[in-house]
Amino acid sequence: MTVPAPQKPQVLLDALAATIVGQRATLEALLSSLIAGGHVLLEGPPGLAKTLACRALASAVGGSFKRIQFTPDLLPSDIVGTRIFDQRAGEFTTVLGPIFANIVLADEVNRAPAKVQSALLEGMQERQVTIGPQTFPLPDPFVVTATMNPLDSEGTYALPLAQMDRFLVKILVDYPSSDEEGRILERFGGETPVLPADVVSIDDILRWRHDARAVHVEPRLKRYVVELVGATRARHDYVDRGASPRATLAMAALARARALVAGRDFALPDDVRAVAPAVLRHRLAFNYRTLTDKVDPETIVAGIIAAVPTP
Amino acid sequence: MTAEPKSLRVGETLRLRIVAHVDENILQLDNATLPDLSGFDSLGDERRCSTSGHGSDCVEVMTLSPTEAGDRTIAPTTLDAIDARNGKPSHFATNSVTIHVGGSVQPHGVTRALLDDLLKPIAILLIVGAAAYALLWGFVRRKPPPAPVPPPARPVTPATSPDPLLQLVAALARERTRACVLAVRDELRRRVGAREDETLDDLLARRATGDDPAVPGALPAVERAAFIDDFQLDGAIDDALRTLSKWHQS
Repeated sequence: MTVPAPQKPQVLLDALAATIVGQRATLEALLSSLIAGGHVLLEGPPGLAKTLACRALASAVGGSFKRIQFTPDLLPSDIVGTRIFDQRAGEFTTVLGPIFANIVLADEVNRAPAKVQSALLEGMQERQVTIGPQTFPLPDPFVVTATMNPLDSEGTYALPLAQMDRFLVKILVDYPSSDEEGRILERFGGETPVLPADVVSIDDILRWRHDARAVHVEPRLKRYVVELVGATRARHDYVDRGASPRATLAMAALARARALVAGRDFALPDDVRAVAPAVLRHRLAFNYRTLTDKVDPETIVAGIIAAVPTP
Repeated sequence: MTAEPKSLRVGETLRLRIVAHVDENILQLDNATLPDLSGFDSLGDERRCSTSGHGSDCVEVMTLSPTEAGDRTIAPTTLDAIDARNGKPSHFATNSVTIHVGGSVQPHGVTRALLDDLLKPIAILLIVGAAAYALLWGFVRRKPPPAPVPPPARPVTPATSPDPLLQLVAALARERTRACVLAVRDELRRRVGAREDETLDDLLARRATGDDPAVPGALPAVERAAFIDDFQLDGAIDDALRTLSKWHQS
């Protein structure tokens, strides 16, 4: 038996980029979230390789992958599992749900009612699931990537802000450029995409997490993080509520992860500023004026970030 | 230093000419020490300095009349000044001049007086012509005398103050502290026109430093030293100083 050589995060990023055309920011955010130990909310129109990116990530890390299609008739037990009576044994046995996987794709998470969403989000937060009298820990690493389609809002259940807060980042997946679309046509051409297999191991992921926690963040940079999150709570024409301290922790963790992916053992203002929009955009409560004035929330977030001087 | 004529009689006049060449443009040469001229009556003293692209020529012409017969040596004219070529105080001196003075002019009756009246304008013309010839010859053939330089040659320095970045880099090399790194970083950012909200990536992306190709290399190194952990700071400062030195040399 041979022990695979330790790999660096960049290897995984390159492997994902070899499968997914473009979407570099999405792939980097996925990798950073994996290292930071957080969950990812992907928002974008259908057909932008959101699911493919998650599948590629799971395949590349050699972990287990489960996909749950959220629908209005989904039940919590369809996610976490249930207890069934085994007539032969004469006792209840537990059947674990699809949430027990290293990478879980919750497709169109806003199409299921609140109690189903809560079942998933509780597992995301606690990293354990209680079924009947028993509590089961979720595997490590455990990353949920949930997708939302911003175009079809009919028949959806918007995620409450408190539940959105549990996602480490919200990534906006945009259409590819015409060059990228041409490459997509050449690369796939109707064939099933070949996923990168076992590029890194689960042990690599756990080691990266350990290394990321050791990435140095200068006190001035920590202050910058606090000021950025604090700026969202300042009086603003379009923002009713700002981000919570969970955003502060998320921003620092992601900045560390980004620095590690870049091969550094110290974080820079660039790391913080790069992850800030993804950390903040789903944690702000925009008021009705955003709709009436037709202001893009992304512009608001960008304005808040730009108003805070970098250290 | 030259005298014309070098042989004359008591009562007659001679012109003692002292020439000094200075490599800078000056209006007058003040601190030359003239020789002892006892035994001569001073009848006139004319000084002038003319400037050109090669410096200044200062000429002093003294009209003297010997009062005693005999050979008289006029000692060199001297000048004490800072030699701009090496910045050291130096003593400059001309040559000495020996004058032969014969007996006094004696009138010899009407004929001599008449002859004198006729010859005097011619002699004067000849003397002036000779003096002019000597003057021109002296200018054309003159080997630059040991250069008396004007008093303290002040070094030519620009009116602007020293480069603040260089001062900060020097302080960083001397003190090697995070505060010095940050001061250098601030100055470097100011120099490349960084706005408050701009990060290193922004600066490198927009190539604000395009007119100074070494600065992009210096920026990441200084940024690293500004945010690295304390125990790695020393090595990061070395790297930053190296790239800054490269920038400075370029």
